[in-house]
Amino acid sequence: MRFDLDGLPVHFPYAAIYPEQHAYMGELKRALDARGHALLEMPTGTGKTAALISLITSYSLANPARPLRLIYCTRTVHEMEKTLAELRLLFAHLPPPAARSLLALGLSSRKNLCVHPQASAAAARDSVDTACRRLTASWVREKAASDPESTPLCEFYETFDRAAAAGDLASFMPPGVYTLADLRALGRERRVCPYFLARQMVKYANIVVYSYQYLLDPKVASIVSREMQKECVVVFDEAHNIDNVCIEALSVSIRKQTLEGAERNLRRISQEIDRFKATDANRLRAEYNRLVDGLAQRGNLPISDAWLANPALPDDILKEAVPGNIRRAEHFLAVLRRLVRFLDGRLDTENVENEMPVSFVASIHSQAGIDQKMLRFCYDRLHSLMMTLEITDTDEFMHIQTICDFATLIGTYTRGFSIIIEPYDERMPDIRDPVIQLSCHDASLAIRPVFDRFETVVITSGTLSPIDLYPRLLNFNPVISRSFTMSLTRDCICPMVLTRGSDQLPVSTKFDMRSDPGVVRNYGRLLLEMASAVPDGIVCFFVSYSYMDGIVNSWHEMGILQDIMQHKLVFIETPDVVETTLALDNYRKACDCGRGAIFFSVARGKVAEGIDFDRHYGRLVIMFGVPFQYTLSRILLARLEYLRETFQIKEGDFLTFDALRQAAQCVGRVIRSKADYGMMIFADKRYSRHDKRSKLPGWILSHLHDAHLNLSTDMALHIAREFLRRMAQPYDKTGSGGKKTLLTEEDLQNMAQDGMEM
Amino acid sequence: MYGVGGGGGGFNAPSTTAGRRRNPGDEEEDEEEEGGEGRVLEAWERAYADERSWELLQEDESGLLRPIDTKTLVHAQYRRRLLLRSAAAAAARIQKGLIRYLYIVIDLSRAASEMDYRPSRMAVVAKHAEAFIREFFDQNPLSHVGLVTIKDGIAHRLTEIGGSPESQIKALMGKLECSGDSSLQNALELVHGYLDQVPSYGHKEVLVLYSALNTFDPGDIMETITKCKKSKIRCSVIGLAAEIFICKHLCEETGGSYTVALDESHFKELLLEHAPPPPAIAEYAAANLIKMGFPQRGTEDLISICSCHKKIKSGAEGYICPRCKVNVCELPTECRTCGLTLVSSPHLARSYHHLFPVAPFDEVTPVPNRIQRGGQICFSCQQSLFNPDGQSNLHVRCPKCNQHFCLDCDIYIHESLHNCPGCESQRSITS
Repeated sequence: MRFDLDGLPVHFPYAAIYPEQHAYMGELKRALDARGHALLEMPTGTGKTAALISLITSYSLANPARPLRLIYCTRTVHEMEKTLAELRLLFAHLPPPAARSLLALGLSSRKNLCVHPQASAAAARDSVDTACRRLTASWVREKAASDPESTPLCEFYETFDRAAAAGDLASFMPPGVYTLADLRALGRERRVCPYFLARQMVKYANIVVYSYQYLLDPKVASIVSREMQKECVVVFDEAHNIDNVCIEALSVSIRKQTLEGAERNLRRISQEIDRFKATDANRLRAEYNRLVDGLAQRGNLPISDAWLANPALPDDILKEAVPGNIRRAEHFLAVLRRLVRFLDGRLDTENVENEMPVSFVASIHSQAGIDQKMLRFCYDRLHSLMMTLEITDTDEFMHIQTICDFATLIGTYTRGFSIIIEPYDERMPDIRDPVIQLSCHDASLAIRPVFDRFETVVITSGTLSPIDLYPRLLNFNPVISRSFTMSLTRDCICPMVLTRGSDQLPVSTKFDMRSDPGVVRNYGRLLLEMASAVPDGIVCFFVSYSYMDGIVNSWHEMGILQDIMQHKLVFIETPDVVETTLALDNYRKACDCGRGAIFFSVARGKVAEGIDFDRHYGRLVIMFGVPFQYTLSRILLARLEYLRETFQIKEGDFLTFDALRQAAQCVGRVIRSKADYGMMIFADKRYSRHDKRSKLPGWILSHLHDAHLNLSTDMALHIAREFLRRMAQPYDKTGSGGKKTLLTEEDLQNMAQDGMEM
Repeated sequence: MYGVGGGGGGFNAPSTTAGRRRNPGDEEEDEEEEGGEGRVLEAWERAYADERSWELLQEDESGLLRPIDTKTLVHAQYRRRLLLRSAAAAAARIQKGLIRYLYIVIDLSRAASEMDYRPSRMAVVAKHAEAFIREFFDQNPLSHVGLVTIKDGIAHRLTEIGGSPESQIKALMGKLECSGDSSLQNALELVHGYLDQVPSYGHKEVLVLYSALNTFDPGDIMETITKCKKSKIRCSVIGLAAEIFICKHLCEETGGSYTVALDESHFKELLLEHAPPPPAIAEYAAANLIKMGFPQRGTEDLISICSCHKKIKSGAEGYICPRCKVNVCELPTECRTCGLTLVSSPHLARSYHHLFPVAPFDEVTPVPNRIQRGGQICFSCQQSLFNPDGQSNLHVRCPKCNQHFCLDCDIYIHESLHNCPGCESQRSITS
């Protein structure tokens, strides 16, 4: 359909539109008009993606002065594919002249794109990368030119390289929408490398869909996203955890194994250096000269080999020459050895230590004789050295890279970080597992260049409440920040707060109550009763793995688990990915065949973040307790302190916000579209308090009736039965009885006219 | 029991305040909430919603209490159902399966003892199954019913498929106890085995009354579903608790309907919806000639052993098969000896009306006029359509012959008579 939105003709690929999508587009248009950033919350299942892409595309079609440049960041490959599918629908709907000139593509790692028969067979991401480099690195290709017999090359890359040199890459890729599968198919058909082709074509594409890391992680961003122009509109989808992504991008942790690995790497590098000295001393000399000129002008390094990049942000790297005392390879190696030994010494501590980067650098200087400037150049220097030594199996050298990463970060930043050394894990004091953690506290550091560089950044998700906290955490000023609710033809979600068990005693996972057998039993009874009343799938979220282990054990001893098994099969998430995937598969099977199943999972785990439990896979989700972070963790404490000092965010506020967004994220798994329905039980007395509850997203709150705020198990059971019966009645899609939730073209015209008359 | 127990604070708050607590910006949202259309009755209100006994009484002039008539209300409900049904069969002539072979599967697993229906799910199911069987034979005199129960994960055939309501009901009432798990697959496999032998003109149907929320199956139920689909068995499920994916899948695959009952009256309604014959699937469209016998009552002096009960009976108590002269007690049935379908002619006639239903009548809004003379009396019962105070009652009009009818006659014509008196009398005049 085509309609008019405040004077902008919008092309929308569907015949009808939800009212909230219409409102969403309106806000988005205002943000684009103002050339500012936007923060928009809208529940999943309401077609955020379709609204976003069709508005932005229509906007640039109507304003030829602002050509279409959209960077759409998603979290997973699956979401990327879904977005591209939406794009394809939209392109099919656009007027032909416009659709014929637009190019949209997804970009992912080599693992997902490689079509080389041997290289793509590797299991891990790093090994695919390594295999690829072995076939495509510039010196390998030089060698092949002289000795074509013994050096295998990647024919796909060769085709790409010839085309790139001739400048007709576009002939491989006519305008259209390319999903990852399309890219692979194209690669196989035209015998060209899809990965490099996509990476090159990103420069010319109108719409690029890729993962967060490509923009936020400075190591990757500087390679891939360097050439994006300022006019780009950047969208972060499912961005409720964006602050954590930013922080992770700048955090490093070093363990004993890392240091041992680094030692190994150093030995190998020194062997290589010796070998080169004997055979090709010129190379090392040439490198030395280049370093004198400064890293900033390393134009003579072949650009295609740019596979390592500085972990610090582009603006923070000084454009100056590498300090004299690490220019020579042997000297640099000695510096690294001293650094590794120093870190090893620090790791031997018996006490927990918490230091700021400044004092840490000072102690490195006094004990190992490495000053801040040398530290800062470690990463680039290592990069250059490995290039010179023609090392292709980079995954082997991960450890030394981590060390240099660490060194560069502490050499560059003095604020917003802290270094925490812990001799053992807080929860398992008997097992010695020392770790040095460089943790970033300031999410705004990693994202600032994005906000500075691009005119419009849209952050959107189903759960961004409380919406005023994000601008403070990320330190930016949105021109629009709004939360939308879902328009529904029926009350298809039923959130409840359960505060008491069937014996009327309060339930909670509060520290002093969580091991109380009464609470454990009440939780068990709740699950048992629900298992007998709810069909198909139930998902349970616990606050942590250890708590889940404990409670499942107690349930087993009490015999509750056996009773539950009479109704449904039980599956448990473990930290192991393969195991969990298997459990999920079987869980789905049990739901499909009518046996019914329960999935035990952990808030903040893999399942809570990325797996949907829509339709019969999740008719009910129970959140046992409030998923607060482990508050004794040093990293969290340091971050809280930093937040309080820098952004004036109270500890309690942040903790509650973080816990509630995790809880909302967990329960939000259950509903993925309007035709779907599901119940959510927040089983903890603390949820009934206003300060906790008010932090839930608006679309959950609006369905949380006052009568459902203080329930006991039997009352909840009764409500559940009623709700399930009501929801099982035939579903009227268009919405009868005055509640319009699908607007057609006509309705929109009427709306516009009404607006004019008023 | 759900109640005010425990003294939950704010538990009784009216639902509209829930809207107000939210973001003050969403004003139009609030209005929608307060439209009150979606308001759910509270638990204590609900029990009386059906029987507001005090409102049924009205004082008349002399101060005596008399019940006010709820006829219009009941009628409105009835009409809604009628329209819904005819809307489904909107296309004028739909072929219907008149000879049905229906197995009713009753789930007597542990879940059937739950007390959310009073006195228990099992009792409610049995009660309405009985009513359904009678209604079913009333509407489909040529059809056959059998009963299957699921108990302890095993399906049992309670009665053989047959044409007599009495024997079915007797068998059902004798077997009412529940235990163990339920298994949908076992039931389907059993029924599939029996229905596979049914002659090709018969419409094979299964109606599952399912209390449980899961199914404990020995094998892959998906295979069983495909098998049922292949043998063209139409499976329908009425759930008593909640929507179950596998039931929905089963019904979608086999072309049946899946419904879930809200309460006892709704359950009855859903069950009775299965009484009229369903539209035939295109594959059955091939016309088939079926051999039928029309037996006569035996004479008083003929004493013979009846084939169904193996008892000595006089001929007047039974019917004599025209082909093999054996005595059968009830019609319609299949002759035990020669396998001939035995019916009486009224049975055939009664099945016929499904093919040519009377079109639903249009409602005439009550108008306070006396000018419209023609509409004064009901065409069928000759009662006046006007109140004593000169206001015309709500009544209906046949769209074809434009005759007016009162509400009682409307129901009578559609449910029992299956002919419009107006149209019939016109036809007799013209011919």
